[in-house]
Amino acid sequence: MNCMGATVVATADPLRFGDPFGPKANKVRWVAEGVVDGIWQYGNALGVPNMAGDIVFNESFDDNCLVNVVSLGIVRRDQIIRSRAPPAAGEGGYDVILIGKPTDSSGLGGVTFASEALREEDEETNRGAVQIPDPFLKNVLFKANDDLFRLVREEGIEIGFKDLGGGGFTCATSEMGAAGGFGMEINLDDLHKADDFPPEVLSIAETQERFLIVSPPELRERILKIYNEHWDLPNVYEGARASVVGKINTGDRFTVSHKGEIVCDVPIQHLTGGIRYQREEKARVIELTEPDIPEPADYNQVLLKILKSPNIASREHVYRYYDTEVMGNTVIRPGEADAGLIAPVRGENFGVALAVDSNPFYGRISPYWGGATAVAEAMRNVAAIGAVPSTVTDCLNYGNPEKPEAFWEFREGVKGLSQACKDLWLKGHMGQAVPIVSGNVSFYNESPQGSVDPSPVIACVGIIKDIGKAITQELKAAGDKLFLIGPRFDELGGSEYYKTIFNVTGANVPIVRFDLERNMIYAVIDAIDEGLLAAAHDISNGGLAATVSEMALTRPAKLGFEIDLEKALGIGASASMRTDKILFSESSGFVLEAKPGKEERLLEILRGYCLDPMEIGIVTKKRRIVMKRASETVADIDLDEARAAWTSGLAEAMR
Amino acid sequence: MKIAVMQFPGTNCEHETLVAVKAVGMDGEIFRWNRSEGELSGFDGFFIPGGFSYQDRIRAGVIASKEPVMQALLEEAAKGKPIVGICNGFQILVESGLLPGTGKIDMALAQNVMVSKGKIVRRGYYCDWVNLRHDAPSKRCSGSFIMEQGSLLKIPIAHGEGNLVTTTPKLIERLNEQEQVVFRYCDRNGRVINEFPVNVNGSTQSIAAICNPEGNVLGMMPHPERSFFAWQLPSFDPRKQRPDAAGPGRRIFESVKRYIEVSA
Amino acid sequence: MSQKINLRVWLKIPDAEAATVKNTLARRFGYADILNDVKKERLFSIEVDCGDVEELARSFAKELVNENKESCKILIDELNFEEGYVPVKVSLKIEDGEAISTRERLRSRLGFTNVVDVKKATIWKLYLGGMDPELRAKKIAEELLINPHKDTFEITSRMG
Repeated sequence: MNCMGATVVATADPLRFGDPFGPKANKVRWVAEGVVDGIWQYGNALGVPNMAGDIVFNESFDDNCLVNVVSLGIVRRDQIIRSRAPPAAGEGGYDVILIGKPTDSSGLGGVTFASEALREEDEETNRGAVQIPDPFLKNVLFKANDDLFRLVREEGIEIGFKDLGGGGFTCATSEMGAAGGFGMEINLDDLHKADDFPPEVLSIAETQERFLIVSPPELRERILKIYNEHWDLPNVYEGARASVVGKINTGDRFTVSHKGEIVCDVPIQHLTGGIRYQREEKARVIELTEPDIPEPADYNQVLLKILKSPNIASREHVYRYYDTEVMGNTVIRPGEADAGLIAPVRGENFGVALAVDSNPFYGRISPYWGGATAVAEAMRNVAAIGAVPSTVTDCLNYGNPEKPEAFWEFREGVKGLSQACKDLWLKGHMGQAVPIVSGNVSFYNESPQGSVDPSPVIACVGIIKDIGKAITQELKAAGDKLFLIGPRFDELGGSEYYKTIFNVTGANVPIVRFDLERNMIYAVIDAIDEGLLAAAHDISNGGLAATVSEMALTRPAKLGFEIDLEKALGIGASASMRTDKILFSESSGFVLEAKPGKEERLLEILRGYCLDPMEIGIVTKKRRIVMKRASETVADIDLDEARAAWTSGLAEAMR
Repeated sequence: MKIAVMQFPGTNCEHETLVAVKAVGMDGEIFRWNRSEGELSGFDGFFIPGGFSYQDRIRAGVIASKEPVMQALLEEAAKGKPIVGICNGFQILVESGLLPGTGKIDMALAQNVMVSKGKIVRRGYYCDWVNLRHDAPSKRCSGSFIMEQGSLLKIPIAHGEGNLVTTTPKLIERLNEQEQVVFRYCDRNGRVINEFPVNVNGSTQSIAAICNPEGNVLGMMPHPERSFFAWQLPSFDPRKQRPDAAGPGRRIFESVKRYIEVSA
Repeated sequence: MSQKINLRVWLKIPDAEAATVKNTLARRFGYADILNDVKKERLFSIEVDCGDVEELARSFAKELVNENKESCKILIDELNFEEGYVPVKVSLKIEDGEAISTRERLRSRLGFTNVVDVKKATIWKLYLGGMDPELRAKKIAEELLINPHKDTFEITSRMG
């Protein structure tokens, strides 16, 4: 992203690990610890704050953990740097300059490595396939790149700039040349390298922390000086530097020479045209039923167990390893609300929100609803702090697309998420879908034991015009009224309750009722904008019970609450809906804490959006979690006891 | 009045530190470590910001401390100019011998260890908001010049090596006697409780910041530039509701400015 | 009967930290002429009170060594180094939280209850020419490789 001329301002890390209490518990915990270590060591050194993330434990990830990372950047529209070789490059015989780490053989075949179903016997051949990133060098390069961008802006010259990703040097150079409609000649002898590798290794190795510049020869000396002298690359990192490795020409071929011989000479378009695969799809037969389970006798125990479960418990144990404050832009950090919020431009009042979501348990039941609910949830999270969902990006993690059922899952997921983006359209622009501006696909997440549950991970970026209006999720004042929007349907398929208490999946997966969803999201944004809400939290896994509890458990945890589940049955709901279903159904919704005196206006706004607001209870000075149904007490737990469970759950699962 | 915000390879916090410097009305620029050392004498004060200079190779701050620019900074310190090292900056000052200012390397900032009720409950990198108590008198040190003794600041920390240790006998006693202990970790009522979570990294006597005997050089583990504006504060802080207000960290920068003014 | 398993671990990929030590010693400390190279190893010393040490050593190596970027050498009850360099062993003199973590991980999470203790150290291999390399190595350790308030070092005598 730095290559676009943007400043990277935030990251988020959606992680999926296996079952920490299952048959592969030791391996799962070892992997989880290693991943978290890798993320904080990298991100903190890079100097970019972590502002969101999530961790989901699910047995389908026992052999295939998923580590997705989202990064957010900011750039002035008129200062965007492009990756293609600029129009004058051919006639001008522009330089191709390689900067960064000396090319070595690391990562050889890394992108293709992911495609081998991992078998233990194959560990020998897997060696050497992993790329070795270096956040320190990246940090230095970003700063040097900033100096370069400043130089070309001042000179008013267009350059091409690109980072080297999968496929290494050959991919990047040919892409830049082909995109500009030119040819390119490269001399591997001029490449700074770690050793005298064969030309094919040098061409496709995926050594990290390297960038490519296409620039006019007049700028050559000044560019090399930035990297080799001002930022002293050769002394900062052994072998790192900027080197002129080739030239753009007006031809249409990609030629590479090495030790006086031409080792590659092909039409440049050859290397960049992708291969179109025709894949077969076949609907996976999913045979799931709703379980026949008795109502629990002791809701206190059930609730404590859920609060302690690895997928509900506080994530504090992990995000305390992440620097959430670096750059000095953080307004709302992880743990305070459903989304993170930064104010990235000094002197401007706007904020950028970020949230990530995806529930693999839903994907297992219905890949389509797995995709749609991921988008809906990410948008709800952004709306819960008062930001408007403005754009979405994704990382679509699925199994082997060469297997028809896995490919079907992928297509269903994409249909689901694109439908959600269309029907939860951009606020104020009826019918205009929320754009998905970028994304990533990760296939082949399977092992001989099976494929991962469909996991379309969604990140939603939102904008709030005034950071002073953003709100967080912790309860604010005793006496404030609590409202629920979003009816409780019998939708416990894939729920935390079914999984943790009964170890079943169920069948009634929560769906997205698009009009209702959109109205709830818009209503919450408007209510926050008008200053009517003290706190808000969206309902997702764990249902209503987890949502309200979390509002009391979030720091400073000074207040309790009392709610009446009878009041959570809105218009048209069945009066006989079971208590556990009301508590733990994961149907979409929000719990809102109204500011005193603002309740009437809040109701007006909610009804204006055709919602049925349910006044379910009140914030109390007494530090207890109290849930009743009419006059019967269902649960009554001391807040500190609940907090002990909620704050220890994740640490215990990762010990 | 011109401030240099030092920048080593791997430094992270220079931009927001410069924002803070300018926001209190000082002029400033980012000073890359390999610029000519002679240029340093043109500045009136220095900040060494946080980050991972040289990737904490060997140990945090040591490689940066051997750079020629640190020798020049030593000379500027001898002239009485204010130098504030934040987080990695503090580590660099310790490895350069500029702090505690006895003329040699007299302490280390070692790996965090979080002890509660006699048990180690956590180790390593930690990011959270903490409360600091100003344990030195006002005007004792450049970076806390305008602050009253006993006043409290809420500022975030984010580090893995902030545990102040020393093998020099009686050093800590001397620092206390000479009022060189500038900030200690405390709870929100100002009580120093020498165990986690109040002592957030196991540092000796909950020490979060110290100055040299002259008072012009301050090293602190917490990041005042991240608590400069009220809107940066955590959600449960009442001051956050007035986003245009100053944050607690601003006092560090105002202190440096005042210190330079009265020294002129 | 207690036995000690020593795992010497080094990077197969370029070691940026060792390169920086060499660079700093050459440019900032004047050792350019007599310092030919610097390499670095991590050392795990794991004390076990029973069990098949060879097999245990292999299991520990599997857990502690990242095969994608590291190689290792197993030594039982002895620690010796090759000719050609001065090995400087640096370890924490204050409590080593990482070593304790590793011990706990081996004992509780992985079930190696015969693990009594784990000690960690860094071995700096200084390839020094000229007169009295061990004296020079000692000076380098004191000037750069350790902070005496938290670290201790020994010039591990060579055998072999």
